[in-house]
Amino acid sequence: MRPVRLIFGTTEGAIGAVLLSLLVLIALFAPVLSPGDPLDIAGPPLLHPFSMARLPLGTDSLGRDVLAGIIHGTRTSLTVGLAAAFAAIALGVCIGLAAGFSGGLVDEALMRVVDAFQILPGFLLALALVSVAGASLPVVVLAIALGAWAAPARLMRAQVLSIRERDYVAAARVTGMHPLEIAVKEILPNALPPVLTLAAVIVAAAILTESALSFLGLGDPNIVTWGTMIAEGRNVLRSAPFLSVLPGLALVVTVITVYLVGEGVTQALAEGKAGQVDRQGPTA
Amino acid sequence: MGLMRIDLLSRRRLLQSASALVASTALPAWSRAQEAKGGGRLVVAADSEPKNLNPAIVASNGVFFIASKVVEPLAEASYTAPGGLAPRLATAWDGSVDGLSVTFRLRDGVKWHDGKDFTSADVAYSAMNVWKPLQNLGRVVFANLLAVDTPDPLTAVFRFSKPTPLQLIRNALPAVSSVIPKHVFEGTDIAKNPANLNLVGTGPFRFAEYRPGEYYRLTRNADYWGKDEPKLDEIIYRILPDRAGAAAALEAEEIHLAAFSAVPLSDLDRISKVPGIQVVTKGYEALTYQLVVEINHRRKELSDLKVRQAIAHAINRKFVIDTIFVGYATASTGPVPKNAPEFYDPEVASYPFDTRKANALLDEAGYPKGTDGVRFSLKLRPAPYFNETKQFGYYLRQALAAIGIEATLGNADAAAHQVAVYTDHDFDLAVGPPVFRGDPAISTTILVQSGLPSGVPFSNQGGYENKALDSVIAKAAETIDAEARTEFYRQFQKIVAADLPLINVAEWGFITVARDTVLNVPDNPRWAVSNWADTALRS
Repeated sequence: MRPVRLIFGTTEGAIGAVLLSLLVLIALFAPVLSPGDPLDIAGPPLLHPFSMARLPLGTDSLGRDVLAGIIHGTRTSLTVGLAAAFAAIALGVCIGLAAGFSGGLVDEALMRVVDAFQILPGFLLALALVSVAGASLPVVVLAIALGAWAAPARLMRAQVLSIRERDYVAAARVTGMHPLEIAVKEILPNALPPVLTLAAVIVAAAILTESALSFLGLGDPNIVTWGTMIAEGRNVLRSAPFLSVLPGLALVVTVITVYLVGEGVTQALAEGKAGQVDRQGPTA
Repeated sequence: MGLMRIDLLSRRRLLQSASALVASTALPAWSRAQEAKGGGRLVVAADSEPKNLNPAIVASNGVFFIASKVVEPLAEASYTAPGGLAPRLATAWDGSVDGLSVTFRLRDGVKWHDGKDFTSADVAYSAMNVWKPLQNLGRVVFANLLAVDTPDPLTAVFRFSKPTPLQLIRNALPAVSSVIPKHVFEGTDIAKNPANLNLVGTGPFRFAEYRPGEYYRLTRNADYWGKDEPKLDEIIYRILPDRAGAAAALEAEEIHLAAFSAVPLSDLDRISKVPGIQVVTKGYEALTYQLVVEINHRRKELSDLKVRQAIAHAINRKFVIDTIFVGYATASTGPVPKNAPEFYDPEVASYPFDTRKANALLDEAGYPKGTDGVRFSLKLRPAPYFNETKQFGYYLRQALAAIGIEATLGNADAAAHQVAVYTDHDFDLAVGPPVFRGDPAISTTILVQSGLPSGVPFSNQGGYENKALDSVIAKAAETIDAEARTEFYRQFQKIVAADLPLINVAEWGFITVARDTVLNVPDNPRWAVSNWADTALRS
């Protein structure tokens, strides 16, 4: 519970955590909050917000419920953001760990691959992949993860390089521990926290990338996404601006929330580390 | 507020003097000298830049929009001329009784833009070397063309190996008969000739300049055969690929005109109230687009007529017209649109919106709802060319859900969509916008006829085969007598509506939005793709 308390200890973290829990609840309970298919035609087209109690945020040019779209869009955005960040970090950690721990030729080879991915603009990579492989949610997640794993890989490798020279790792080596065991049991847990702080940045970027892809018409048309809603609202931007503005606001709030949480985590980790050093100081 | 109004007024005045555009856009200042003539420069929104601008090879509206002002056909569609056809490069046409030849009298005194005389040799060359072998529509219309005889410079006699109805040739003329100069193309690789972009024609405007990504510029042809035509000095096609951009540019008076519904339908209500802007729905009668559900009959469920009828009953055409097309469309009854009165037959099977009946039909067909309410799933691919086809895709998915059919929407760009549907047949249902071009034989019968090779876009790629229908199509193609031929096309409509090889949902023409300073906007049923010789700007 200590990390949670630490996150709430900072203003950013507290605000972020509350908002994020809210968003997660909305995403989890989307089918309860707004039952049925959000793509169903629910009322007259282009109904402005607050003009009908049943459809509080109005309807789009086909008559689909905007509120339902925003609620179910939360689901898509968070799913894509979390899944892409998880995939990117998992991949990055594995590659970084392997490179840093093995060193030598393996390190060189892996790092050149990382370089190759890092110089490619992530969005272009995602665009290319989605247009070739087709627009479906798993492909979008994969495409975003492929553009985002290089940074965690680099950070992980740097951590491993520093940690593997520590005394306790040398001690483990002397006791005859298998290198794989050393990597997973001794190095990974200590190298991971700084990499995890990258997660928030990746989640936020993934949510934005997904929306941008949907905005360009490369989203999965079978689910609601904010990017698609913004793009479709654009045709009637002059007469019904709320169709683009509302999902845009949802997007802004979500991305800021994730950033705030990330900020809170970073600060909590920094303080936690400082606390550890203090505690270790006298005993060492 | 006051300041803004003054600003607007002065800008408007500037535009009318035809030079504001030079100042407000990146265009160079070449036309200032022509101000005095009062012809003026018309600035038009263009949304695509065709790689090949030669209308004799690519007979499509995107090409005609620009090229029809430079390269002319033998005849053009007309509201008033007898038979709905006004002479252009041809002044008269006559078919032989046996249907094996058609004789064209050509216009005298017409010159190409490079100064050479226009003669029957140009028509013969265009027909034999371009229309028949290379052109998308000409391949069908002139399939049986044997030779073109040129007894004198102003007579061209088309000879056919099989009887070819004059009715078909007449109806096809505006789209398929763009004449290009023999002396420019002869002995070259036609597909690679630079004149495919730097057009040389006989039309009221000369092709002056093309700047990729910026604009096309056409200038007045002072030697045009039409008396006192053209009225304009210049036409600029400004490339505005963003649909939302066209409306803004019109309001800002950066362009005079946006055709082909470049202004989204949902924005028309608002923009029609802007002072100085007119919304024009006429001028597309001969360019009817049809909203069609294409069906892959290889899929077991869809090969069952009851299932197809159920889908037809599940579509609320009124919703499609009122909401997706904002009223700017008509519900379809069959494969021939209402504004082709020569062929249209309203006495066909109809499918009123009735979800209960649709559900009953599906139960009868042996596809009961599962515990999750789903009977079966299929893949739906809406064509991405138009906003309306995409929106109809969204709608159809929901309409099918209401009768227990779960449709998964595919998402692909134009090229990928064409390959998926017309080459790979990777679809169960598709939404397509085929065009009716004045005669069912040009681009409509091909949608349902069997035995076509795969890869032909906008053709029957759903594996539908109906011998009776094929035989009606074949007979109509060889029937000379217009009455008898029309009767075959009535049968054709009845069979298609009854057996549903595809489902016709709606038909629509496009909308032009123009500043009210543009005169004579819709003066023929193919206005946007006609020559604009009498289009003028009010000064």
